[in-house]
Amino acid sequence: MSIHQAPSGPRACEKRGAGPIQVTDRGTKLKAAPFDYHAPQTVEAAVALLQQFESEGVDAKVLAGGQSLMPMLNMRVARPQVLIDLGKITALDYIRAEGDTIAIGSMATKSAAEDSALIKERQPLFQAATKLVGHRQIRNRGTVGGSFAHADPSAEYPAVALVQDIQMKAQGPNGERLIPPTEFFVTYMTTCLDAAEVLTEVRIPALPAGTGWSIQEFTKRDGDLAIAGVVVTLRKVKGVCEDVRIAAFGVNATAVRLPAAEAALQGQAPTKENFARAAALASGAVEEPIGDVHATPDYRRQLVKVFTGRCLAEAAARAS
Amino acid sequence: MATELPRLPEQLPTSSVRYVGKEVKRVEDPALVSGTAEFIDNLTLPNMLHCAILRSPHPHARILKVDASAAEALEGVVAVITPEDVKRWANAHVTSPPGWGTHCIAIDKVLYVGEPVAAVAATSRALAEDACELIDIEYEILPSVGTANAALAPDAPVLWEEHGTNLIQQRTYNWGEVDRVFAEADHIVTGSFRWNRCGANPTETFGCVCQWDLTDNSLLCHGGYQVPGFWGLARSFSLNLPANKVKVVSHPQGGAFGGKGGARGTDIAALLSRKAGGLPVKYIEDRMEYLLAGSSQSWDRHYEASLALKADGTITGLKVKLLDDQGATTETYGTISVAKPLAAFTGNYRIEAAQYDTTLVVTNRAPAAPYRGYGPPPHFYVLENLVDMAARKLAMDPAELRRINYIRPDQFPYTIPSGNEYDSGNYEAILDKVLKLADYQALRKEQAAARAEGRLVGISVVNTVEPGVFDWNAYATVGVQGVGVPEGARVSVDILGNVTIVVGFNLQGQGQFTVAAQVVADYFGLDMNAVKVTMAPTDSAPPHFGQGGSRLGVAITGAVLGACQKLEADFKRVVAHLMGGLPVEAIELMDGKFRIKANPAIGMTFAEVAGTMLGRSDLLPPGMEPNPTATSVWTAPGRNMPDDQGRCKSYLTAASATHVVMVEVDRETGRTQILKYFIVDDCGTRLNPATVEGQLQGALAQGVGAALLEEYVYDDQANPLVTTFADYLIPSIHEVPIATKDFIVTPSPVTPLGAKGCGEGAMHTTPAAVSCAINDALAPLGVQITETPATPLRVWKLLKQAGAAG
Amino acid sequence: MTTKQRTTVTVNGRVYQREVEPRLTLADFLRHELHLGGTHLGCEHGVCGICTVLINGRSARSCLTLAVQADGAQVTTIEGLRNRETGELHPIQQAFVDEHGLQCGFCTPAFIMTTLELLRDNPNPSDEEMKEALGGNLCRCTGYENILKSVRLAAQRLRASSAA
Repeated sequence: MSIHQAPSGPRACEKRGAGPIQVTDRGTKLKAAPFDYHAPQTVEAAVALLQQFESEGVDAKVLAGGQSLMPMLNMRVARPQVLIDLGKITALDYIRAEGDTIAIGSMATKSAAEDSALIKERQPLFQAATKLVGHRQIRNRGTVGGSFAHADPSAEYPAVALVQDIQMKAQGPNGERLIPPTEFFVTYMTTCLDAAEVLTEVRIPALPAGTGWSIQEFTKRDGDLAIAGVVVTLRKVKGVCEDVRIAAFGVNATAVRLPAAEAALQGQAPTKENFARAAALASGAVEEPIGDVHATPDYRRQLVKVFTGRCLAEAAARAS
Repeated sequence: MATELPRLPEQLPTSSVRYVGKEVKRVEDPALVSGTAEFIDNLTLPNMLHCAILRSPHPHARILKVDASAAEALEGVVAVITPEDVKRWANAHVTSPPGWGTHCIAIDKVLYVGEPVAAVAATSRALAEDACELIDIEYEILPSVGTANAALAPDAPVLWEEHGTNLIQQRTYNWGEVDRVFAEADHIVTGSFRWNRCGANPTETFGCVCQWDLTDNSLLCHGGYQVPGFWGLARSFSLNLPANKVKVVSHPQGGAFGGKGGARGTDIAALLSRKAGGLPVKYIEDRMEYLLAGSSQSWDRHYEASLALKADGTITGLKVKLLDDQGATTETYGTISVAKPLAAFTGNYRIEAAQYDTTLVVTNRAPAAPYRGYGPPPHFYVLENLVDMAARKLAMDPAELRRINYIRPDQFPYTIPSGNEYDSGNYEAILDKVLKLADYQALRKEQAAARAEGRLVGISVVNTVEPGVFDWNAYATVGVQGVGVPEGARVSVDILGNVTIVVGFNLQGQGQFTVAAQVVADYFGLDMNAVKVTMAPTDSAPPHFGQGGSRLGVAITGAVLGACQKLEADFKRVVAHLMGGLPVEAIELMDGKFRIKANPAIGMTFAEVAGTMLGRSDLLPPGMEPNPTATSVWTAPGRNMPDDQGRCKSYLTAASATHVVMVEVDRETGRTQILKYFIVDDCGTRLNPATVEGQLQGALAQGVGAALLEEYVYDDQANPLVTTFADYLIPSIHEVPIATKDFIVTPSPVTPLGAKGCGEGAMHTTPAAVSCAINDALAPLGVQITETPATPLRVWKLLKQAGAAG
Repeated sequence: MTTKQRTTVTVNGRVYQREVEPRLTLADFLRHELHLGGTHLGCEHGVCGICTVLINGRSARSCLTLAVQADGAQVTTIEGLRNRETGELHPIQQAFVDEHGLQCGFCTPAFIMTTLELLRDNPNPSDEEMKEALGGNLCRCTGYENILKSVRLAAQRLRASSAA
């Protein structure tokens, strides 16, 4: 990752990647700092542990697949005193249909989601987003819930959550709650989950029949974290675009919906010119895009424009 | 050497060559695919400790105080070394030019982010890292020098007080009548180019296990050492040990692509061992340490260059001005990459005059290190782009402009203006073959059609000379002394006729053990299974250097052949004697049999002779030792000392290749996609074609990385911004095109079996080929990329500039 | 001082029970606790794939897995491929030798483990499917061409032997 003279500490990850390196200490660490470890067998037990550590002022972190957390631990940019491993909670590992909703347990692996016939049929957008995450080895260990809880700015799932209204189910000392995506993702690597809450499930509405969708991202190498990406869904009704939803990821602290661009295309014919107009609006609407060694803010704007246009075209082609 | 070595495989004493020149399976491979090869981190010695190094977070600072007491008190920590220990026990590293090397741990000041300032030996690496966090260092931060240009500013902070300047060396070479040819030129093409830091990044970082013997005052170093003897000698200087009391045991390495050897890491581990009462200490450089401060960064260059041409396209002169940022010290021999271009300065062309104006400076970036190619890759990036610019100016096809300027086959051996002699070549034959392979005319038609659609498609035809088999004299101009790089092999035969070859280096991936076995097997008509190759540590190895400068395939072949010839002579003596006192000349060796020339049915097999020598001393000629062993040390013939313009016969061989590349640039994102890639190369006799092709494709991958993806970025205070593999982008299988390849062979007239050095290969050519293709794509827009890597962002900025971004 | 944890891991069919620091990665556990040095370390931050093993039959980066997370799991490493009695190389290993699919060999165990998973799940992969599966493993020596050839040959041979 790149260092931007950013202060370390809670204002984490100005950079995508494994997190900030403390300015006072450079590059000597690839073995984690010591931590204690618990592997509860139930969600209740996990919540109880988190609650206990919170009240004791002990810094505890939840471990799911580890594909994002482990690099941070190895580099010592994350230094929890305790890890609570959810890996033994088999009750959180499922993918099932509940009516028109696909319920995915937070500990289901990404490769299970990638291979799921149910998701392929009912939520091809979510499956496509899954395939974009890293490589198969990452997806074999990485969990669906983990990407939601980790809230990396360049992650695909949060953007899909915004356009598909994916609901997050959390369990804490005060019981269960369902959290909408607009509330869930707060800022860099930060969700609205309380210290003693565990994300237990994500609930994804099935893609309505005839909906066109597209997710595309820009990386320098296949499988890298996205420099910028766009997700689109839309429907074609009587020859015009309806229910246009556009979100960008990798450009701001969290994924962002782009309502101005959506509105511009609403009720308009799915033509190249209209797509270009919407894409330009999408690009202009992004506030203060991230700048780093790989892309300037201007260039991220350009990528939003380009991929909005491409995603709109692809989604329109898919819509029926 | 008593007799001349065979110049071609056909000259080996065999009626049909079974192994040399064939795609023989490598003897190294079964252990490697089984995971049993002992890379250094697989070595454990009893009571071994683990080292972690505390490194400077500042690019330039004075060290005011070091307090390691809390670290020393941590349970499991056995020893800590600080600047005080190093001042007491060690010397600064020897460098070229001399005087720009520091100690393994910073003494008074730190000069780059990542420079070691203390180190811990503990019972585990994790614990050692815990201990490092307890070491308290007080720094006085000093203003830093972030770029080469900043280094030369009149008010620049001076990094090396003893030198009083940031200028390491400035030197201008003038070869031929440069001023005249430029004055008389019909056209002059000029360009400025920026090559940003990139580097080796083998998948295995450096590692070592060092053990100091306090009673004997000697040192044992196991590790990933590319040039074991040389490295051991350097350790004796830096650690104040007698040279023959440093024993280096090189382990097979997971790649190197430069100069693997970890001088600082070794010294630190050795001193920790000394302080820990002689317990062995293992140091494994982790990837972040490598990226930050290992031998990882190369070629930080600013170029201004021009070509002088006649109206008919004849290139008469080349001027290159180079400002090279060596980083904070010259300890990792980055300076050599400035000298090496002399070996092939004017490339494939008959350019009569050239000028090379070089300025080497220190900055607070990491010390520059060797990387595959060691200087010519950026040089050819510049030269080939200039040639293409000339082609555009003269409205000539870039292939044809090159063709008319090539050195002709009848002109070899050819001495270039900068002094080196090319041994053989046929550049026009390579060109014809690759243009045919690529169906060049069809590619240009494809390009025309794409352009009509508004697509940015480009094609390049780029050639380089890839110098092989280096000698020290190539680097004299940056202070390297001496002539004659040795490579020795000891070939011994046991009583059953099995052969063991002992060499002084270990494996890195280029397959030299297999080559050595191929040669001996063919020489004595043996099955390759009967030949074993092994490495001896420096206290018992023959004189050697090891891998480097595309030399080892040729050098080890020469050494092995020399030893075979000596054995052949001894065996003939035995047989002649046993055949009733015949003269030695009456015996010939063919297909593993020592037979009477006049009566070939009568003779003895190789195994029989060896068995006799070792089992029947009564039958041997008087005075002959029962010792079927021979050692031969090869060095490149005909080398000389450089004159005052650096001219000398340096690199023995001149391989060459021409690449044809087709790319498409995405107007909207600036991304470059390589559509097609063709290579025809000539590296003389191909000792193992499978190995040669593997080297080609591997160097191509690194070239693509350098051209498009890899860059160590710093801010202008010399703080590194690229410190992990998330940002230093090594190409994956998706980013590397598989080249369609073919070859020609112009054997070297001066090497054993006619092989030329080829290990560095395509790295010389690919960055130039890819960038020239991009520039061909951008040509209609009137812009060109002159900076590496040609990232999507850089190209997009150019497109925007041209008003052509999508 | 943190509390050690017991972890019971089956590696190449053999059960190992150890008390380890929680922070110990599976990679370091395999290499230094169990002395199975064929799984190598290239970056320790999950990018290069050099540390690839199979966990419960699925390829994974062992540098991003804790040894304690592997409690109860079946792990396969490169050492588990050769025939233990005869020493005969596994067909995938042999294919890499036959097609010159390696140079320095440091990344090779990782590629072989990934190939093991690929060919088990997809015995007749297209070139695209091969590249997709191998995209998470970096090689610095070969430029990938001979790795692809090795995987193709291995696939061919495994199909032939399972048909036989």
